[in-house]
Amino acid sequence: MEILQVNNLCKTYGKGETQVNALKNVSFSLEKGTFCAVVGASGSGKSTLLNCIGALDTPTSGEIRIDGHNLFTLKEKERTIFRRRNIGFIFQSFQLVAELTVEQNIIFPLLLDYCKPNSAAVEETLEILGLQDRRRHLPNQLSGGQQQRVAIGRALITKPKLILADEPTGNLDSHNSHEVLDLLIKASRHYQQTILMITHNNALAASADRVLRVMDGFLADLGTAGEKGVSYRDEKLS
Amino acid sequence: MKNYLDLIPLYAKAHRKQNRMSVFCIFLSVLLVTTIFGMADMYIQSQLLKTKQEDGNWHIMLNNISDAEAELIAARPEVNVLSCYGTLNYQLDMGYQIAGKDVVICGSDEAFLEEIYADSISEGSFPQTKQEVLVSDNVKRDLGLNIGSQIAIRDGRGTEYPYTISGFANDLPMILSKDIYGVFMNTAAFRAFYPDVVDGNPDDYDSCFMVQFHNHRTIRQTINDIKVQFQLSDEQVGEQAMLLGLLGQSDEGNQFMMMIYTAAAVLSSLVLLAGIFMIAGSLNSTIAGRTQFFGMLRCVGATPWQIMRLVHREALSLCTFAIPASILTGMIVIWVLCAVLRALSPFYFATMPAFAVSLPSITAGIVIGILTVLLASRAPAKKASKASPLAAVTGNANHLTPVRRAASMTFCKVDTALGIHHAVTNPRNLLLVSASFALSIILFLSFSTTIDFMRHALKALHPWSPDISIMCEDAASTCTVDRSLRTALENHPAVKHVYGRMFAYNLPTVANGKENKAVLISYDAQQFQWAKKYLLNGSLKEVQTLTGTGLIVSAPQYDSYTEIQTGDTVKLTVNGQTTEITIAGMVSECPFNTADGDIILCSEDTFCQLTGMEDYTIIDIQLTRQAADSDIDAIRALAGAEYIFSDQRMHKQSVLGANYSFKLFIYGFLFLIAIVTVCNIINCVAMSVEARMKQYGGLRAIGMSDGQLAKMIVAETVSYAAVGGISGTVLGLFLNKKLYEFLVTYRWNDPWQLPAGELCLILVTVAVSVVLAIYNPVRKIRKMSIVETTTMAI
Repeated sequence: MEILQVNNLCKTYGKGETQVNALKNVSFSLEKGTFCAVVGASGSGKSTLLNCIGALDTPTSGEIRIDGHNLFTLKEKERTIFRRRNIGFIFQSFQLVAELTVEQNIIFPLLLDYCKPNSAAVEETLEILGLQDRRRHLPNQLSGGQQQRVAIGRALITKPKLILADEPTGNLDSHNSHEVLDLLIKASRHYQQTILMITHNNALAASADRVLRVMDGFLADLGTAGEKGVSYRDEKLS
Repeated sequence: MKNYLDLIPLYAKAHRKQNRMSVFCIFLSVLLVTTIFGMADMYIQSQLLKTKQEDGNWHIMLNNISDAEAELIAARPEVNVLSCYGTLNYQLDMGYQIAGKDVVICGSDEAFLEEIYADSISEGSFPQTKQEVLVSDNVKRDLGLNIGSQIAIRDGRGTEYPYTISGFANDLPMILSKDIYGVFMNTAAFRAFYPDVVDGNPDDYDSCFMVQFHNHRTIRQTINDIKVQFQLSDEQVGEQAMLLGLLGQSDEGNQFMMMIYTAAAVLSSLVLLAGIFMIAGSLNSTIAGRTQFFGMLRCVGATPWQIMRLVHREALSLCTFAIPASILTGMIVIWVLCAVLRALSPFYFATMPAFAVSLPSITAGIVIGILTVLLASRAPAKKASKASPLAAVTGNANHLTPVRRAASMTFCKVDTALGIHHAVTNPRNLLLVSASFALSIILFLSFSTTIDFMRHALKALHPWSPDISIMCEDAASTCTVDRSLRTALENHPAVKHVYGRMFAYNLPTVANGKENKAVLISYDAQQFQWAKKYLLNGSLKEVQTLTGTGLIVSAPQYDSYTEIQTGDTVKLTVNGQTTEITIAGMVSECPFNTADGDIILCSEDTFCQLTGMEDYTIIDIQLTRQAADSDIDAIRALAGAEYIFSDQRMHKQSVLGANYSFKLFIYGFLFLIAIVTVCNIINCVAMSVEARMKQYGGLRAIGMSDGQLAKMIVAETVSYAAVGGISGTVLGLFLNKKLYEFLVTYRWNDPWQLPAGELCLILVTVAVSVVLAIYNPVRKIRKMSIVETTTMAI
């Protein structure tokens, strides 16, 4: 079942001589439960792609469908609510709310929906992330790895169909990077969620089911789980 | 680009909108200072005009000097005008009359009416011979005389002295209110007319010499020189303290001018403080959003000192437009205010210059403007210099102060809880922002007491102030103004209100075992209606409807606090018979003042019952706006010649003129405080939002809607407003009460009342400011894309 469909996506910044085509006719789709990595050089358009899919940015043209819903036919408020309920975000800089505790940060998307959080689900998330002892801590009392785990918990709590992660291990050391990635994979497998992750780390990309490469605004599919072993390795060699 | 400071105009060109608020704040601060000093200057100018018109344009009055000495003084180059001036029958006690009406006779040189009381001659010319006199306009009106007509002055012995009228002079307020005539003679004629003196000294003719100087700046020195040269004592040299004070040339009178300028300086200091808050807030807001930029400058080698210099210079560069623009606007505001004054009270302010340039206000505007900007840019400059180069590189430049306590969501939803938390989490910030809110409320409530003071101090503002009074000749003939006259006056189309009072003077009283004297005065329905405002306790209705009851007047302004209280019974001896009156209420003021005993007000029925008298002592008239001089003449004719006809319109206009200028000053200042409040609040909120912009972007990215974001900002702003509003209201009311007691209760005994109107006005201003303050940042965030806010690097 296709969770994400991206069709002929274009994003252009500026006008005239200063015009930059960040994304050029990008099209791809992701099946439910897929863990997909997006690689590419700095400025290639990876973050723009992720921002457009996450409805943080508006594409110049093209279509993005998540679970059959065309994101950009929705009104601003509807799109925000849709994003809150169906897309989980994990940022390189964590973007935790400094004034909220670990537990409050995790349930934050539910609070924004004015829903009462299911305490069992919160407990389960805290347990999976290993943050039970830190539930009352503020973000500034946590290490970088712990903060990113909180961000993962926040992305998982609404059980979204799609999780978008923008270099989630960019601010972490290698030990914490692996730990965070393992958690992300474990959690997404547990909840059958689709993950689209930007990374510069080839080792992390290698653990993905599928790898997409963005270069000068064009997207190349480097293979699915089955063929990745060959094609991605070839790419790395070349 | 030759210097790193050349970056300032380049940056400003690229970010035109960014400095708009700072420029506006500087503009507003300088405008306030310019306007305050301009208004003070204008107030002094108006007082100068008023003093010259009412008391004459003379600086010193020399008594007990000879004509020869006077001639020598007049020959001094500093002296512009020297005129002999003497009066006869000034106290109306020598019996001089024209056509049965008392007359004051003045003897002076021509310069007196040409230069000292300029434009006093309405028609004809100053008398040139001993047989000529100049008379007041009311002589012409009453007796139908013209230039060249013969007029006779009769002395107390009945001897008549014939004169030819050479011209007419404007009526002075004293002439109209006392219903007398004025006669001007030249000095020679006056001395010839003056009784029982032949070849005397000027002093023997009750005369003195009035001197007007050329150069106002050296008056003090000239006075001292004259004193030394002619060996004159202090008693021989009288000074026109008010005029000299307004010109800054009097030791005593300087107090007034100094008081006005001191008030302007105090108000300007407050504005300076508010301006520093406002400009610093705006600059801080800009700096907060540019931390990464300053970090980047540090990265490429700028020292903290260079960054501070850059910020200082940047702030000063904003003045190049803001200060000239505000001074120009300030001048226009002053011109408009002058025009308003001229329109409101043409009698006094008609001669005010239409396009005057006030140098004190321009100087104050420039100096205080630059000073404010330099002081205000200190903290932002320091803040900018502390920007971390590392933070600029890593993109963490906009990190906020560390949080120590989590937001509580027990009583409200997450968006509101976060907003409140943002406001209260940093006590220093909360104190500063809410203090800024509170300061505006305190200033407003404190200064609003001056309005109450003004209402009490200016008598013309009393509802019962008449334009015309028709009264008995003296106390002995009390209650002789025919009651039917009132009915006749009521039917006159130029009359708005007619109200009469009956007086019984010096009635022996016994109250609470103490003997005293009292004046019993009757009130009609209209006057009881007006008295409602001044009722301290008791019931007016009871006094109106129950005979044998009265109101006691508490008159502390004459240091004669009454010992009679509401509920007391006062024994009155009227026409030899003792009767009783029950005090059913107390009022703070009435139209009659006496330093001798108590004042008891009662209904006309009670008065008639107690005294047996039915006619009035005085009938007061308030005229309609359309009333013309011909109407006054008609009313005068209606009243007849047997009563004193007192025309108080000029006096009322004089008080109203003072009232307008004072009101304009006070209301203008309150208006300016309100504007500062609005700007301060807008800045505070803008600054707070600017500092959290990146965080807001993050919150939007993880699903917070624009509405929820707006709610969060509203909650934060309302928290500041609530803390500031409550503390400002409490402190402001406390100060309001204390100032009211000091300015009003102490002198007029009126109790303090909650200034509900003023409080509502300033709280509504705060509320409107909050709405205005929230609107812009919320709109700005809505317009920005989420990606833009999360990756902001200005």
